[in-house]
Order: sequence, then C-alpha cells, then structure tokens
Amino acid sequence: MGCLRSAAAGGGRRMAAGNAEAVGRPASPGRPRGGSQHAAKPPPLLSRRNSILSRRSSFGMVAGSRRPSIGPWMLHRHVSFSGLPIFQPILKTRLENTYRMGPDKGCKFDAERVQRVLEGTLACALETTVYSAQGSAPLVQSLTELLQNQAKEVVPPRYKLVCHVVLGQQGQQSLVVASRGLWDPETDSFASATFSNASLFAVATVYGVYFE
Amino acid sequence: MIFNADEAHNIVKECIENVLGKADYNQNKVNQWTAAIVEQSLTHLVKLGKTYKYIVTCAVMQRSGAGLHTASSCFWDTTTDGTCTVRWENRTMNCIVNVFAVAIIL
Repeated sequence: MGCLRSAAAGGGRRMAAGNAEAVGRPASPGRPRGGSQHAAKPPPLLSRRNSILSRRSSFGMVAGSRRPSIGPWMLHRHVSFSGLPIFQPILKTRLENTYRMGPDKGCKFDAERVQRVLEGTLACALETTVYSAQGSAPLVQSLTELLQNQAKEVVPPRYKLVCHVVLGQQGQQSLVVASRGLWDPETDSFASATFSNASLFAVATVYGVYFE
Repeated sequence: MIFNADEAHNIVKECIENVLGKADYNQNKVNQWTAAIVEQSLTHLVKLGKTYKYIVTCAVMQRSGAGLHTASSCFWDTTTDGTCTVRWENRTMNCIVNVFAVAIIL
C-alpha cells in the first residue's frame, strides 16, 4: 500500500513540476532565454501534454485504484460505441470533369517555336564539348533533362512531352534516325533539331502529346 | 492500366528481325529499312487494342567503332505511361528502337 501511495504522489509531483517548467520557459522556442523581457506565457500545448502523460503514468502504475475521468478513448477523435477508435479513410481527391475535348484555340503545340528553342539550347550546351566515352553518358542524360525543361516553358498546358536525344562520335559512319507516331495529328506534333561539331553530333527530338 | 513493356519488347524485336535479319548495312536501303521497322512496330502495337498513343523511334547506325549514346526524358503520368527500348545489332550495323506509350483517359 505504501508504495502505491508514493507512486500516486510521484505522479502528482511530476505534474506540478511539468507545469512549473512550462511557466518558466519563454513563449516561443526560438527566442533566446536571456533576452526575454516580456512576461512569459506558458505554451498551452506543452502543459497539456505533460499533464496527460503524468495522468497516464499514474493510471498505468496504480492497479485497482479509482478510474480517472479521462480514459484512453479521449485521445482519439472518433470512437465507435464499443470504445474502439474509428480511423478515417484516406480521401482521394477526385477532380471535376473539365468537359474539354481539345486544346484551346491558339494553344496548340508550336513546332517551330520548340525547334528554335532546341537549336539554341543544343548550340549553347555542346559548342565546346569534346566526345569522350565515359563523359558522354551523363552528358546526354543531363542534356535531355535540360531540353525537356526548356521545352516545358514554351509548350502550352495539358501537353505530355517526350524528349529524345541521340549523341554520337563524329566518324566515317552514317546514321539514320526515323520515328513515327500514332496520335491525333490536329493536336499532337513534334520538333527536332541537330547539332554537330568536329568531334560529336547530336539529334534532339521533342514529341508533344495532348493529354485527353 | 500499366504499360506492358515486355509485350512491346517482343513485338519490336520480331519486327526488327523481319526487316534487318541477315542484311548488311546498305546506304541506299537504310531509309526503307527504318521506315519499315517503325511502320510494322506501330501496326503490331495498335493490334494490341489498348487505349494508348504510341511514338516509335528507330536509329540505325553503321558499325565503324564510333560511340553512340541515346537518352530520353519524359514529362507524363508515370502510373499509366511507359517506355521500352530494344537494342539489336549484327556484324555491320547497330539498331536502337524506342517505344513511348502515352495513355488516353476515356
């Protein structure tokens, strides 16, 4: 019996201590302790958390004592009649129907504009680059990402983009790149550009597909 | 609806074998070959009957010891759209075919 009483007392003491700590601390955690001149207001959340913890610990340790008024069911917002908590289902956002059949007038994939952007970017990026077997793999990957970001800025919304780059060493070989698409020719299109210098050549193509 | 890359891979490989098969690199015929590969692949992909828009790219290069790199970057819905790349080579040439499939939401 003696030990039980002390445990309860310990819980009570802890609660008081918790509150005292809360009072002594300055209002915002970011403010330095020495510089605070205002009357410190305890953050309400801190004291409540302390009080709940101390109450829980006293509930757990003291067996056969009187049940406290606030039980575990208060920690959950929604509870069923049996006392078990009800977990809310994660709501998936459903977008409203836009009733859109095609892109707005004047908002189509502008092939010429994208081609100019591609040519400019390729010339800028590869002007002084020399082909190397190890360095070209990461170079071509970063080049596609760069071209895609540039294309995204000039392409109208609701368009999906596919950016494809072929980079090779300049030698005596010949290369042919062909492509064909199955899409809606009124809304979808592509743009391509090439670049070559003494050591390498590059072919970049951007396909724009309208997102129905 | 997820894009089935294995199916597309098999279809494209078959088309390349049909067109290039045992041929050697020939400057005059290369244009014909690339067009044929691309057209046949597209026709077979459409026969799958899925609601996708397709883009098929084919690059054929003569084997002369020079290096070649290709890369692609796509801005799309990763849950429904997908891509597949098929590399094929023989004694005299290399062939790389890319298939990009963009889903249509009905």
